[in-house]
Amino acid sequence: MADEHESRREALKIIGAISVTCAFPFSADELYGQHTHLVQVQPAAQTGPKFFQPDEFRLISRIADLIIPRTDTPGASDAGVPLYIDMVVASNERQQQVYRQGIAWLERASRQKYNRAFLELTEEQQYALLEPLCDAADRGEAKSEGERFFASIKSMTADGYYTSKTGLIDELGYRGNTVLPQFPECTHEH
Amino acid sequence: MPRKTYDVVVVGSGAAGGTLSARLARKGVTVAVVEGGPRVNTSTDFNTHALPFEFANRHIPTMRPGKEGFDTERSRGLGGKTMLWNAVAFRFSQRDFKGRSIDGAGEDWPINYSDLEPYYASIEREIGVCGNLDHLKDLPDGIFLPPVPFKCSDVIVARGAAKLGVKVIHVRKATRTTPAGARPACHYCGNCMAGCDVVAKYNSYDVHMAPAARTGNLDFFPDSVVREVVVSKENRVTGVRYVNRTTLAEGEVHGRVVVVACACVQSVALLLMSKSRLYPTGLANSSGHLGKHFIPHFTGGVECFLTSLIGKAPVNDEGFLDHAYVPSFMHERKRDYARSFGIQFNYQNRRSVGWARSIKGMGKAYKEAVKERYPAFLTFSPYGEMLPNPESYIDLDPEKKDKFGLPLARRHVKWGENDRKIFEDMTRWSVEILRSAGAEILSVSKEPRTNHELGGCRMGSDPRTSIVNADCRTHDVENLYVVDGSVFPSASEKNPTHTIMGLAARAADHIADRLKRREV
Repeated sequence: MADEHESRREALKIIGAISVTCAFPFSADELYGQHTHLVQVQPAAQTGPKFFQPDEFRLISRIADLIIPRTDTPGASDAGVPLYIDMVVASNERQQQVYRQGIAWLERASRQKYNRAFLELTEEQQYALLEPLCDAADRGEAKSEGERFFASIKSMTADGYYTSKTGLIDELGYRGNTVLPQFPECTHEH
Repeated sequence: MPRKTYDVVVVGSGAAGGTLSARLARKGVTVAVVEGGPRVNTSTDFNTHALPFEFANRHIPTMRPGKEGFDTERSRGLGGKTMLWNAVAFRFSQRDFKGRSIDGAGEDWPINYSDLEPYYASIEREIGVCGNLDHLKDLPDGIFLPPVPFKCSDVIVARGAAKLGVKVIHVRKATRTTPAGARPACHYCGNCMAGCDVVAKYNSYDVHMAPAARTGNLDFFPDSVVREVVVSKENRVTGVRYVNRTTLAEGEVHGRVVVVACACVQSVALLLMSKSRLYPTGLANSSGHLGKHFIPHFTGGVECFLTSLIGKAPVNDEGFLDHAYVPSFMHERKRDYARSFGIQFNYQNRRSVGWARSIKGMGKAYKEAVKERYPAFLTFSPYGEMLPNPESYIDLDPEKKDKFGLPLARRHVKWGENDRKIFEDMTRWSVEILRSAGAEILSVSKEPRTNHELGGCRMGSDPRTSIVNADCRTHDVENLYVVDGSVFPSASEKNPTHTIMGLAARAADHIADRLKRREV
């Protein structure tokens, strides 16, 4: 219960802090006069990361883009995922430790194997370093500092991307939250 | 100000309090509804049509900025949980009332289906319940508005279930599928549980209490957190004491009858807090059974992707969340446990993609795997009936208090052998039905979770082992009633709200008769 209240309070605090413009079409407003859905929030200038140092932020941005790359549709950075991760980590001390330890682990591993910083590696080399971490995370067996870090950044990247307007509407094609005069019967051939 | 004595003081304004108070007010009885939370405007106060990306942390708050309510269990708001419920409205069957006589486990209710049948019907006429006439022995039909068509995914699941001899029916919900008066038909936005802003879905404030208040017989005391039901030396309750939610000022409301209807756990907590010389362990607790026999439903869950929908174009199938239901089918089958389970499914909302983090891999292949599975995601949630056991009960925390200085209620739940057997079997059946429908299973819940809190003030004919009688009147105090899920002696596997409303309507008629005869 306490956690839920905390997160709600956190949510309310954050609403005022960022620019929120909802461009999603609400045909509901046209049909029912009593719909008053307009999120009125003071627009604020887009600010940089609150928790991560610039070099750390570049690194987590790169990893987010390796998890969800730009293809013929936008990738994680295009959807603002790195700032989302920064916001979550900034308010969670345990995650701060996971990220700091994980970043250090990854840089060590990169230098050991390739004698270069992670950001200077080729894409193939970057994937080669991350894939074992991803396998451990997918099996639910993330143990080392690197694995725990990857499990965390993968979850946050997925959450951040697929709850963004880019991810939910443009990429996945969410079509709900509209007014239908009646529910369309299934006429597919399955 | 002259002291006003109401005929009836009702604590709580949800499904039970709302139904009961409105019915009494319409019969000319004066009623005070005392609610811990604020008045909530259904059409303007909830974040009904919000989407996650409108919020930096992607968490949609229940209320719009600056709107209060639904912050704690004790201060939700007028309408209680009916504001945010999913509106499933099932009648119990005779089997549900007489479980012990049938399989020897748990308890019988002291009433029969025939006692509640007219009240189920009356409520269906009042509030509008949609559904199909299915002629099932174990899930009685009602007076229904037209059902909502199945989603594509429901058709696929139903076909898979049929191969195993399992029937899938249209869900029955207290949501209008045709307009009536001020209430429009459902517009299928899928946001039922975020507060239905047009009241196509029933809530007790807009549908029951607000119209009844126009009689002049019903007064609201919002923001009034009841801390005690007051009992006199003559063993009669005289009213309630409350704390104002915002000012913390104390107040009292007086009545000839008091009805405690603030949802299972809080009703038990209020009686436990109402200690007096006559009732040192809690009001109406001479039996020592107050808080015992806590029997919440338990649920499991399977997440899956229907393979025939993988890679298909996404469609707008939010609907009114779940459109179909798997009614209990184990009663007719050989099994090694008492009671059974039913399955709700397909009530995920497509704006939430929390499962994406569980898809394996990374990079382009990962991104494609999520996208093609998006239209195919489906959740399956079986609900099982719990049997009472001595280690499952509600009590008060001896130390922790809330901001009103009132002790917090604690829930103690221990799963019994029968509960475990049902859980395993309902999980096994869920997976089998989904496999039969051609599903790729993503996750299967390993542990039961509670939902639909029931029991704690159970109904019975023996005052030594129960708290209220068949009319929801406490055995101990002749003008004190408890009406909500806490009175259920056995839980059934079916969603409880329709039965709570039926009990409330029946108790209202009973109270009105007694007032008329000047018995109270």
